[in-house]
Amino acid sequence: MSMLFLSSVSLAFSAFAAKGIVMDRHYADLHGRGKAPAPALRMRMRTLAWLGLALSFAACIAARGWHVGPVLWCGILSVAAWTVAAMLQYAPRKVAQGAWIGIPAAALTTALLLLP
Amino acid sequence: MKDGLRQSMAWVHTWAGLLVCWLLLLVFMGGTAAYYRHEITFWMKPELHAAAAAPATLSPGQSAQLAVRTLQERAPNATRWTIDLPDERNPVIQAAWQNPPKKDMTRQERRNALRDQNVTLDPTSGLPTAKPRDTRGGDFLYRLHFDLHYMPAIWGRWIVGIGAMFMLVAIISGVITHKRIFKDFFTFRPKKGQRSWLDAHNATAVLALPFHLMITYTGIVTLMFIYMPAPTKALYGDEQNTMFSDVFGNFERGQPADIAAPLADIAPMLQQAGRAWGVTPSRVAISHPNDAAARVELYRPSGQQLSNLEPAMTFDGVSGALLSETPPVSTALATRAAIYGMHVAHFADPLLRALFFVCGLAGSAMVATGALLWGVRERQSYAKVVANGGRVGFGVRLVDALNIGAIAGLPIAFAAFFWANRLLPVDMAQRASAEANWFFIAWGAAALLAQIRPTRAMWRFQLTVGAVLLAGIPVLNVFTTNSHLGVSLFGGPGLRPVAAFDIVVLILGALLGWAAWWLGHKAKQKAASKQPAASAGTTSTMEPV
Repeated sequence: MSMLFLSSVSLAFSAFAAKGIVMDRHYADLHGRGKAPAPALRMRMRTLAWLGLALSFAACIAARGWHVGPVLWCGILSVAAWTVAAMLQYAPRKVAQGAWIGIPAAALTTALLLLP
Repeated sequence: MKDGLRQSMAWVHTWAGLLVCWLLLLVFMGGTAAYYRHEITFWMKPELHAAAAAPATLSPGQSAQLAVRTLQERAPNATRWTIDLPDERNPVIQAAWQNPPKKDMTRQERRNALRDQNVTLDPTSGLPTAKPRDTRGGDFLYRLHFDLHYMPAIWGRWIVGIGAMFMLVAIISGVITHKRIFKDFFTFRPKKGQRSWLDAHNATAVLALPFHLMITYTGIVTLMFIYMPAPTKALYGDEQNTMFSDVFGNFERGQPADIAAPLADIAPMLQQAGRAWGVTPSRVAISHPNDAAARVELYRPSGQQLSNLEPAMTFDGVSGALLSETPPVSTALATRAAIYGMHVAHFADPLLRALFFVCGLAGSAMVATGALLWGVRERQSYAKVVANGGRVGFGVRLVDALNIGAIAGLPIAFAAFFWANRLLPVDMAQRASAEANWFFIAWGAAALLAQIRPTRAMWRFQLTVGAVLLAGIPVLNVFTTNSHLGVSLFGGPGLRPVAAFDIVVLILGALLGWAAWWLGHKAKQKAASKQPAASAGTTSTMEPV
């Protein structure tokens, strides 16, 4: 339960971070004024972000079932989004680095979901 | 209409929000605190803390048996007993009883009588604990957030309900009027005056939008029989209670047979229910104990489902045989129960409860930043006037004053309520009401001072007072209780709620202190850069005052 909860939080954070760092304003903050992300990069990050959110949802459902799981997911999304918003302002480089946590979290979630 | 949809929605958003924002702030803060209603009640009864310090050693069956034994001594002729068994949120055994109503008792007398008809038992020995002080605890804050105070509950519910409907309008119009809801999703730009306030308002509102929508809508639904009485009126006329017993079915407790019969042992019933549910019942209700028609109802603890209607098992109180399980409810009732359940969040485990609490705080921040924004924006139209030594208009002054009284004043009121709990004499008459009065004395004083001098110095003063009072609570505990942080942090699991309370008020106090410091810091910066006097008008738009 708590492992699934933690990976759900990490996945939500990672997904929002991936989405955030290719948004125009934040990309320019990271890479200098006037820079825009390549369309392919933006597409890739967005796809990863949606994947991450979907897996984070799955983790919540696995942790707390169909009744309470979606409620838990909404709460996790809010907290993850606030964290990303604050970090994009105060420590933008950390967002790009922190986004990597989604990879082990995704692996862990998949493993926990597939295990009986 | 000449304006576009967005502009007209901006108008709706501004005025729907401004009209009720101070009331909503009270409702949001009270409701947020009510997520920890039981913990707050426990914290406010320090006499019980000693009993909770040791881990519970009794099995649920033994606890229930001991509670029944105590109830047999104290109220053998009651019409109903209820027993709450210890769990994570409530470390002690609570037993309560209802006596047969006397003929000419008023509602208030019955309520007062009920307050004395309960006893708390030590979870390790099953013996009655020291009598806790008279306090309404978290229930006061819970009731405050929809009944208000000093007025009939029905008025309060109408006022809060209308506020909630305005809130729903404000949320929806706010989403429509927000041009860059996705582009600015993660945007927060500090130190940019009005821009920053708007960013903060957006971040607290948009990123917790599911919560805000849910809590506002479900809040209205919880009281839907008040706001939409027409269907009930049409079907039942004035017989509202018939409707309630038809729909919810739990109003009929059966009639006593008036033949004495011994009560069966309760522990096997708990075991049977525990086997069926996989979890031990948390609540036991016994109607007509010691009568041939006695019934024992066992309730499953919440946590499995959103609905607040937990499954129950009913046993014959004399033979101990299982009579019935709760039949599956209709879809309409299940939907309502899930909506109601979402609002009160009984199902939430500690993590989820903390998320709800944080979202509630974000809701309060959303309302507060929204209220501040109005002043910040309106003040801009006075920039020139102020720069030339003139004064802002009456509306701005009024809103500023109300903002100070609500945003900085309410934390003072909450803190005063908790201070009163510790400082008022324990054996004082009407103690519970006195605590509530202190909430409003403190709030009234803050609101009045704000009306007299709605200045930045007043913001700092009230924020500082709130910070000191809230952060001072753990210190106050050292002098007034034996369960301060030094004890509760290292005590048993039963003391965790007490420690958590102290830590949370400490954090909230620190946040208020930071806000007060930030305002002072701003003022100094401004004074330092104030050589060209003309710039004062534009920079002053940064601050709420």
